[in-house]
Amino acid sequence: MNGFAEWVRRATDPASASGKPEALDGVRVLEYCPGHFGGMVAASILGEFGADVVKVEPPGGDPLRRVAPEGVEIAGTGLPFLSEARNRRYVTLSLGEPAGREAFRRLALASDVVVTSEPPERMETAGVGYLSLRGDHPGLVYVCLSTYGVFGPDAGRPVKDSDILCQALSGGPYIVGEPEGEGPPMPHQSPTRLGNWHGWFVQGLWGAFGALAALHFRAETGKGQLVDLSGAEAVMMFADYNITWMHTGGKARERVGNFDPAVFPYTYIRCRDGFTFMAAYNDEAFESLMQIIGRPELVRDPRFSTPRSRVRLENERALLSILEEWSGNLTADEILRAVEENTSRKSGPAAAVVTGRVNRPLETVGEAHWIERGCFLRSKDPVYGELLLAAPPWKMSGTPARWKSGCRPPGADNRDVFLRTLGMTEEELRTLETSRTDG
Amino acid sequence: MRGFREFAEEALAPSTVPGKPEALAGIRVLEVATRIFGPATADYLAQFGAEVIKVELPYRGDLMRYVAPEGFFWKEVSPAFLSLNRNKLHVGLDLHPPEGKELFLRLASTSDVVVENLRAGTMDEWGVGYLQLRERNPRIVYAANSGFGQWGPYSAGRASYDATAQAVSGFSAITGFPDHPPMKAGFWVGDYTAALLSATAILAALAARRTTGEGQMIDLSQAEAMIRTLDWTWPYAGITGKDRARAGNVDPSFPPSGIYRCRDGFVAVSVRDEEEKSRLAHALGATPPDGAGTVTPGRVAAFCASATRDEVVRTAEREGFSAAPVRGGRDHYHDPHLRARGTVWTVQDPLYGPVDEYGPAPKLSGSPGRIKWCAKPVGWHNERVFGELLGLSPGEMEELSRKKVIGKWADAPGARPPAGGTSP
Repeated sequence: MNGFAEWVRRATDPASASGKPEALDGVRVLEYCPGHFGGMVAASILGEFGADVVKVEPPGGDPLRRVAPEGVEIAGTGLPFLSEARNRRYVTLSLGEPAGREAFRRLALASDVVVTSEPPERMETAGVGYLSLRGDHPGLVYVCLSTYGVFGPDAGRPVKDSDILCQALSGGPYIVGEPEGEGPPMPHQSPTRLGNWHGWFVQGLWGAFGALAALHFRAETGKGQLVDLSGAEAVMMFADYNITWMHTGGKARERVGNFDPAVFPYTYIRCRDGFTFMAAYNDEAFESLMQIIGRPELVRDPRFSTPRSRVRLENERALLSILEEWSGNLTADEILRAVEENTSRKSGPAAAVVTGRVNRPLETVGEAHWIERGCFLRSKDPVYGELLLAAPPWKMSGTPARWKSGCRPPGADNRDVFLRTLGMTEEELRTLETSRTDG
Repeated sequence: MRGFREFAEEALAPSTVPGKPEALAGIRVLEVATRIFGPATADYLAQFGAEVIKVELPYRGDLMRYVAPEGFFWKEVSPAFLSLNRNKLHVGLDLHPPEGKELFLRLASTSDVVVENLRAGTMDEWGVGYLQLRERNPRIVYAANSGFGQWGPYSAGRASYDATAQAVSGFSAITGFPDHPPMKAGFWVGDYTAALLSATAILAALAARRTTGEGQMIDLSQAEAMIRTLDWTWPYAGITGKDRARAGNVDPSFPPSGIYRCRDGFVAVSVRDEEEKSRLAHALGATPPDGAGTVTPGRVAAFCASATRDEVVRTAEREGFSAAPVRGGRDHYHDPHLRARGTVWTVQDPLYGPVDEYGPAPKLSGSPGRIKWCAKPVGWHNERVFGELLGLSPGEMEELSRKKVIGKWADAPGARPPAGGTSP
């Protein structure tokens, strides 16, 4: 490792994060997002940077706790909730009860950011919407997460926001998946959902970004504001050049499987032990790749000689077969070594031959690189046991993001939050905790 | 009291945006990046008012300029380059010669943020990395975006694109259908997702700087960014010792929620809880006691196959479950909802005329984001940045141009201005 890499390692290794200051120290975030993963992500991101996150669950717990793919759950909580339950305190109250509404209001007034996925009308009726709070707390940043956003012709559509709705509307799945063939369409020849909750994740991430932009503005002006975030639009920002291509060329992206209409080669190729990614789309890189596979003459083949000819779909198909004739007898690691051997002697555009094995999750977990970089962690808890989790992804030298605590049962922090943070009396807390109407 | 919706329509209306302040006004960002990961990071900051100076190598510039769908350029610019580079100042500056380094260091000493996505350690080798910049400007926030991070066994020399991150993270292994190969997302999700994580960390670091007075280094691997997004994949692997399977178009967390084929396209059906599930069961004609138990993906598929997208959505709205059409770029372009929200945004550009772009995702009532101008040819803002900001005289700039330290566009589609548009 060179001197610079050594320096960055010493300065940013997550193993030495604890003890360093946190970026959002002193920022309190109130999360009220029952059944909603995007809201958890927004709060988690802010929490990883050091915000004090208080998660409000309805009595009995967030319905998202009961979501358990393949039935895997621990102490009544499924893995999706556990994967994102980090760096927060867990309180319960009912917005259906006056004591619950009053406690929520006090929490909100003592917070810098509110994140909610509940319909605005419901929050306003309970006296805890943005309009109800901003008079007493003009510095409040209030983040509303929804499918369509809170204004515009479709804002009133009655949906319960979910990952699949956000993905479907975003334009993402429309350009993921295999196109239809000659015969009747097969089930897999469909717009294809991203396998994770990417819609919800990105909705939460844009929510955190919006909150931070608003906090930056508040630091300059003292003013809070409303942040409206549509999960569909969140992913839409990632759907490449949909709008500019429509505007300039009248064309829309269509799905093309693992091909790409703008760059090629840029695809997964079959190799001896699975699949690996292979890209070399600018002319210089393409020439490098043709040397690597022992077919240097193909750079003059009219099907492949320009970026424009390479992205004709029939030429992409032809080139894929040529690449797979070469890769079929090699492992992904052998392909990586062949690429590195060639490109280490080059620089700039000629070195832009890019590869990487299509890992199954357990293969990723097994690679030393991620372990060394503290990309995964194992949390231990008397209730929820040992869990393998993704760590905060950033390595930062000054105020590193960090994982500090995991899941706790619903209401586990009621005393800490209501007595110590809000200064309630024991009697007030008793009144609050006997409000048991769900909601 | 006025209703919330009425308030929101007014407070968030795109027509009110030009009269409002910008959230990140006064923040200056230097971008030394190509293609998507770095440029998108800076684009997100620029949408909210940061002044982004995009540093490109004279004369070809960012290689993304030549990524053109089906080889299509419009007014000499690729639509794929436009969407990543809004509100930026474009300068052509070569960081290899000493004069180029010195100009860059001068820019950095008056900047708040640097975003780069070169191979790990390249900027340091060139003498313009974080350690050199912080000597001049300890307040600098330096975001080093890369494939595998700045350190660790895979960091040295390995290049990465979006799909490298999709591949090595495990994302593609869980996307697609069982019995079919892993699916690469057809959009560059491994770049944008990481870019947004990078931009978010930059905002956190700027918040920290208010307290500490110091900038810092942010090392972000796009593969690690994708790993962070894979929700229950990791605890599932830890507990069961198994790989999460590709589940096709049914969400295994909320079955039978998923994407289904209709007579005229595709629709997402969504049931997030038992209430929605029983409403769906009712819509499918199931009667108690079998009720919600009969709501299988097969039943939903049969129902959708016989209906149009609109019919499914209307049924959902009437019966009390959720549904939405699967939309693509053409639908977005013509969608009055997205236009009313400024999510499809018409920018009046001095060089290109009216151009439609995606507008900002988060809608802020007080300091909203906006698209002010489009991407520009290489070096388009040289005079503004080197002349007005750094105070170089026209003679000095001419001399630097002659030495190829600074420069403008190559005479090629992707880099050059449209015919007739040759001065800023």
